[in-house]
Amino acid sequence: MKILCVCGLGQGTSLILRMNVETVLRDLGITADVENTDVSTASSMSPDYIVTSNELAQTLEGTSSKVIIVNNYFDMNEIKTALQENLQ
Amino acid sequence: MEIIKWVATNVFGTPAILLGFIVLLGLLLQKKNSSQVISGTFKAIIGFLIIGAGAGVIVNALMVFEPMWKEVFNLQGESLGKFMGQEGFNAKYGSAVTLAMTLGFLINVLLARFTKFKFIYLTGHMMFWTTTIFAGIVVHAVGDVSFVKLVIFLAVIMGLYWTIQPALTQPFMRKITGNDNIALGHTSASVALLAALVGKIAGNKENDSEKIKLPKGLEFLRDSNVITALTMGLLFLVGAIILSTKDTQGAADLMAKAGEQNFIIYSIIQSFTFAGGIAIVLLGVRMFIGEIVPAFNGIATKLVPGAKPALDCPIVFPFAPNAVILGFLGAFAGALIWLLVLGSTVSYVFVPTMIVLFFHGATAGVFGNATGGVRGALLGGFITSTVVAWGQFIMVKMLISSTVPDTAMWAADSDMFILGPIVRFLAQLFF
Repeated sequence: MKILCVCGLGQGTSLILRMNVETVLRDLGITADVENTDVSTASSMSPDYIVTSNELAQTLEGTSSKVIIVNNYFDMNEIKTALQENLQ
Repeated sequence: MEIIKWVATNVFGTPAILLGFIVLLGLLLQKKNSSQVISGTFKAIIGFLIIGAGAGVIVNALMVFEPMWKEVFNLQGESLGKFMGQEGFNAKYGSAVTLAMTLGFLINVLLARFTKFKFIYLTGHMMFWTTTIFAGIVVHAVGDVSFVKLVIFLAVIMGLYWTIQPALTQPFMRKITGNDNIALGHTSASVALLAALVGKIAGNKENDSEKIKLPKGLEFLRDSNVITALTMGLLFLVGAIILSTKDTQGAADLMAKAGEQNFIIYSIIQSFTFAGGIAIVLLGVRMFIGEIVPAFNGIATKLVPGAKPALDCPIVFPFAPNAVILGFLGAFAGALIWLLVLGSTVSYVFVPTMIVLFFHGATAGVFGNATGGVRGALLGGFITSTVVAWGQFIMVKMLISSTVPDTAMWAADSDMFILGPIVRFLAQLFF
C-alpha cells in the first residue's frame, strides 16, 4: 500500500504530515510505504491514497487515488480518525 | 596518514557520501529495518546529486532572463562575472555545509535541552539553503578557508539562529494559532515580524482578512510549480515583446539565440524550463531531507523533554487562508515595482522567484493580518518583496558574487538577506 502526503511545495509541511501519518499507522498496526511530495507531482504518481488538505484536494480531482482529507496536519487525532475511516 | 587523507578526500570531501553516512546513522539510530535503511541512504545520496543537475537548468534559463531585462532597461553589459555556481561550490564546500548543518542541529538540540528556548528547528530544506548561502558569504569574504574552521563557525551560527529565531516569532505564533504547541522555523521570520509590527501601526485589526470571500479561481496559487511558471512566463513574455521592438545589437544577439524558433515562443519555453529546474532541485532536496529530518526529529524528541517543533511556514496558512493570498498579491505587486526601480536606478535585474514571494509573502500576510487585518496582510506582502528585492541585489552584487550568486537569485530569503552582512562581519573577524 502506497500513501502520498501532499502540500503546495512538497518540502517541509508534507514531510511533517508524512511523519505524523507514519506515527499514526504504527499505532494502528498498519504497514504502508509513505512518501511526501508537491501537488503537481502527486497527480502524476497514482498511489493508493493521497493525504492532503481540503484546498489541495480540489486540485487533485480526477486522480485515481483515494484522497483522504486532513485539514490540520499537526492534529494527531484528526489524522487518526481520517485514516481509520478510509483505510479500514 | 594515508588512510586519514583517503577518508578526508573521499568521505568528508565528497558531500553526497558524507550525507549518505549521516542518514545511514540516523536510520540505524531509529532502528529502521534493512530495506528502509538501504532505500533511505540511497535516496539521500541520489537526492543530493540531483540538486546540482537542477541548478544547471535554472542557471541556463537565468542566462537568458538576465540579459533580456538588461537590454529592456538599456543597462550596460556588465554581467555576473566569474563565479563558482552551485555545482562547483557544492563539490568544494558541500561537505562543510552538510557537516555544519548536522552539527548546527545538534547545537540547537543542546540549547533546547539546557535553556528555556525549547524549540527544535525541523525545516530541513531551509536548513540546507541557509547553511549554503552563509558558507557562500564566508568564502566570498575571506577566500579559501580551512574545512574545520568553516564547519565550526557555521555550526555555531546555525545552532544559535535555529534556536533564537522560533523564540522571536513565538509571541505572534501564539496569537495566530491560539496555542503554544508549534513554532515557526523558517527563513521568512524577519519579514513576518516586520509585517506584524507594521500591521500594528498601519493596519486595522478589526478588518480581518478572513471575513472576505476570495474567488475560487485563485486556488491554483497553492501549486508552486504553476505560480512559478505563470509569473516567470509573464515576465519572459513581456521582456521578449519589448525586445522584439528594439533595434539594438544586444537585442539582435539575444534573439539569435532562439535560432529558427520564434523568439517569443523561445522565451516562454525558457520560463517553463526555469520552473522545471526548480522542480528538479526541489525533488533532490526532498529526497535527502525526507530521510534526514525524521532522523533528526527522532533524536531530538528523545533528548529534549517538552520540545516544540519549529516548522515550515505553511503551518500558519490554515489559520488565515485569505491572508495567504493577500500576502502573495502584496508581494507580487511589490516585486514588479522593485523590478522596475532596481533596473532603472542601480542597474540590477531582480529575479522575483515566486517560491520566495509566495511562501514568504503569505507568511508575512498571516502575521500582518493578525495585528492589522487586510491592510496588514497586504503590507506584509509588500515588505517581503522589498526585503527580497533589495536583499537579492546586495547579496548577489556584494556578499556572494564570487561563490553562489546563481543560488542566491532563487533560493536566498529574507532572513539570509538581513543576517548576511552580520555573517560577513563575523567571518572577517574570525578568519
